[in-house]
Amino acid sequence: MKILRHALRMTGLVLAVSLLFPRRVYGYIDPGTGSYIFQIVIAAFVAVSFAVKVYWNKIKKFVAGLFSKKNGVQ
Amino acid sequence: MASSEGPVAGSFRDPSGFLFWREGRLYRQVNEAYREHYDRLVSSGLAAELQADGLLVKHEECALGLAEAPGAYKVLRPELVPFVSYPYEWSFSQLKDAALLTMAVQKRALARGLSLKDASAYNVQFVHGRPLLIDTLSFEAYPEGRPWIAYRQFCQHFLAPLALMARRDVRLGRLSQLHLDGVPLDLAAELLPGRTRFAFSLLTHIHLHARSQKRYEDRPVAARQRPLSRFALRALIDSLEGAVRKLDWRPRGTEWADYYEQTNYSGEALDLKERMVADMLRELRPRSVWDVGANTGRFSRVASRAGIPTVALDIDPAAVEKNYRQCRRDDERFLLPLVGDITNPSPGIGWENGERLSLLQRGPADALLALALIHHLAIGNNLPLGKVAGSLARACRSLVIEFVPKADSQVRRLLATREDIFPGYHAQGFEAAFQEHFEVRRREPIAGTDRILYAMSARKN
Repeated sequence: MKILRHALRMTGLVLAVSLLFPRRVYGYIDPGTGSYIFQIVIAAFVAVSFAVKVYWNKIKKFVAGLFSKKNGVQ
Repeated sequence: MASSEGPVAGSFRDPSGFLFWREGRLYRQVNEAYREHYDRLVSSGLAAELQADGLLVKHEECALGLAEAPGAYKVLRPELVPFVSYPYEWSFSQLKDAALLTMAVQKRALARGLSLKDASAYNVQFVHGRPLLIDTLSFEAYPEGRPWIAYRQFCQHFLAPLALMARRDVRLGRLSQLHLDGVPLDLAAELLPGRTRFAFSLLTHIHLHARSQKRYEDRPVAARQRPLSRFALRALIDSLEGAVRKLDWRPRGTEWADYYEQTNYSGEALDLKERMVADMLRELRPRSVWDVGANTGRFSRVASRAGIPTVALDIDPAAVEKNYRQCRRDDERFLLPLVGDITNPSPGIGWENGERLSLLQRGPADALLALALIHHLAIGNNLPLGKVAGSLARACRSLVIEFVPKADSQVRRLLATREDIFPGYHAQGFEAAFQEHFEVRRREPIAGTDRILYAMSARKN
């Protein structure tokens, strides 16, 4: 009984550890790992300025549209 | 291009498929493993869109029975590239245009639910004067949230060499020849001037990127990473494109780029030489021309403007840059300027020295122009005339060559700082050496100079 309980406890521990910490891979030699992680970090940064750029262009287009419509009426 | 039967040497890394030659025709086998992605490429309309706009090589689907190996899903017959060139042979703007093409393709792919899985500079070739993506199998269906698998490759193949050329020294473009998968980012970071750390795009995509590679070199990381939203991916692509666009390099004051202003040729003698070259080419009727020592391509254009596919090779990156800019401006379809040194031609590199062909393997040229070149080889580089003749006879079928005698001011300049150990360097010695390998068809002195122009055909040994 004791052995069974111990085995269950160990299995639970292993399960908990493996759930808490995801599977790990090593980036030996391959510079790809660092690149992969880096782009996720850096993309978050550049996304902010990209968003500003995209919306700024939309605003410019909208304003330009207003004026061209006015011109069209005249 | 040399076309021996069977699979193409540089086409074995990608399990999606490969290129092969059969009966003088080039085919691409698409493997079953790539079926889903290929179907997506076609059904999304991306392939048709890119092909119509001249960004992706055109192909026709052939009978499956032509397959070269088991596991084929499709067999394609792509349009041929007239002359295969490599990134380390391109001038700055050629590499930049190839980078911008890659970005343009990636943006259009994302808009149609696909993404480039490779961003290799070797997937781009110059056809009709413009960069063209030649690898139909470099697309994959894009699963939302997936980072860009080719980010590292793009930085190593394009951004790092461009930054080094623009911000350190244009000759560093040749580094790509040493590093098959692009310039390592830690090397680029070390070679770039410190001030490039103040340029946000180079700080991030090269300096910090290199640090990140180093940091995770031997460190365990979680296999499942945070996803990268489509918007963030577009932002990353936009940032890379901006980084490339900001880099610029303009040739000024190098050895050869102002050459035509410095020669002892008068304007009339140059015009005359141009007409003589044109006459000789008309007689030789070549299907392809290599102009060796082409400078900015004045005489290459005699051939290319007659519709002959012409490679203009020069050692000086500034001259090649000027030549390419003119090609681009005038939309010249038959001229390909490349950086190269005939005394040290591009070697075969990669696995078994066979993935990227040497310059001579990509020959022979139908006709070769060697104008104002022989004195640089014989006197400037101590190459015996017999050796030059033998080598040129292997590189071409016919030859238009100019002999520049010792009396010429250009040769006098070369000899000013050298001992004259070239007693056999005169027209008779030149003719004797070349007649061993060539049959002289025409011999015409160029009026107003001491020089002689020859048209020759290589003897078949």
